[in-house]
Amino acid sequence: MPIRILLALLLAATLRVEAPQTTAYQEVFVHRGPGHTFHDIARLNPGVPVHIIERNRVGNWVRVTRTTDNGTVVLDGWVPTGYLNYDGSFHLSEIPVNTTIADADPANADYVSTGKLYAVPLISEVSRAMQGVYRYGQALGKRSNVVTKVGDSVSTNSLYLNPMSRGDHELGPYDFLEETINFFGPSLAAGSVASRIGMTTYVIFDPLWADKEHCNPGETPLACEYRIKQPAIAMILFGPNDVRHMTDAEFAVQMREIVEQSLDQGVIPVLSTFSVHPDDRLWWQAINFNLRLTEISAEYEVPLINFWAASRILPEYGLDVDGIHVANSGFPNIKFSTGHEVWYGTSLQNLLAIRMLDELRRTLDMH
Amino acid sequence: MTMRTILVIALLLSLAACAAETADPAPVVERYLQAKVAGDETTLRELLCLSMEADLPREVSSFASVTDARIENMACARVGETNTVQCTGEIIAVYGTEDTSFPLTTYRVVQEDGEWKWCGEAG
Repeated sequence: MPIRILLALLLAATLRVEAPQTTAYQEVFVHRGPGHTFHDIARLNPGVPVHIIERNRVGNWVRVTRTTDNGTVVLDGWVPTGYLNYDGSFHLSEIPVNTTIADADPANADYVSTGKLYAVPLISEVSRAMQGVYRYGQALGKRSNVVTKVGDSVSTNSLYLNPMSRGDHELGPYDFLEETINFFGPSLAAGSVASRIGMTTYVIFDPLWADKEHCNPGETPLACEYRIKQPAIAMILFGPNDVRHMTDAEFAVQMREIVEQSLDQGVIPVLSTFSVHPDDRLWWQAINFNLRLTEISAEYEVPLINFWAASRILPEYGLDVDGIHVANSGFPNIKFSTGHEVWYGTSLQNLLAIRMLDELRRTLDMH
Repeated sequence: MTMRTILVIALLLSLAACAAETADPAPVVERYLQAKVAGDETTLRELLCLSMEADLPREVSSFASVTDARIENMACARVGETNTVQCTGEIIAVYGTEDTSFPLTTYRVVQEDGEWKWCGEAG
């Protein structure tokens, strides 16, 4: 028996023993890599058992294989985790992480601009610069387990991150996020004076928009929030409002100011790209805004969540009927046990944000 | 020009200066807030103090993201002889279908070239 066949049989036997097995609950395309920009190579029909071999860094895509009894691999590719039945049979903490594979194949993007956006990982790795910012923040008295929200109505949505404080999360396969939710969750019980409907990157610096009950006269919403909460991390989400009122150059100036003021105070600013529907008349403007965000993230080495790229596989790109706000699942808690992250914008937004917080907590050894 | 004419001119000039100094700054604040709500760049530029000149774009855009912004029950009065003007009332704006409000507060005014200028919130 040739050695190659022997190895294949051995691999198949190993997979059958060790790799967890599950099925898809509906037909799903299987891709060459962990993202829809990778070519699709097959369809996985519901109910057909597959083994889970590895996952991407976020955990929202897994590589699955299917082998016949004689060890022939008949399927090998990536599917979104949210399309798989979760019955407790697999935990992403036990699945090997492929840390080298990219989240997208930008060469397959329709445009150069969108290719550039796809090239940015779904969540950043934590830079050495942020290690310095964290230490600086600690010296200034920033509270390591406190996260706050800064942004417009998409950020203000009470189902974005705030449910981390409820204690009734259903993580499903994302068991490895438990500690992170318990660590940061309580800090998200309160609202943020720097997150308000209608807020823009201009008015975050306008004292008129500050909460007069909590903020000092002349204090900006951003400065007020940082003074009150002393957060180690700020989840900054601007764009859906600004894109309607300013140029991408003006937006970049304002975002830089937010980042610089955060860094000056020892607060790690986590930026995020935002979703936009391709039919939106502001599509290209939004793409440019998102590109500016990725540039600022790279320039200051601050973390970035690439929600735009991740949301491309969601129905209506994760957006609600107004095409601006993200769609909610209807559940009040953090719930990843039934694949909501591939259906609803807020669920995906929460998954990526919590995973980014998880990356920060582990890398910076926050406790 | 006679000495008497010179004295009269000097008197008129000093009276004018006094008038400007003692003029009520409250209407300036009211005009400023109305202009801010309306995004009226010309008026804002006219009434904004020099030290806040760089903030003009922000002041003009403050209510760009909301609709139907308006001021309700505005009443402003100078606080004694200080450089502050206290206002009551609130700005109401609509975002989507939801009202959002901004209570008016106390503002700083400064005199520049004999004119009162709005100069941010009073600390």
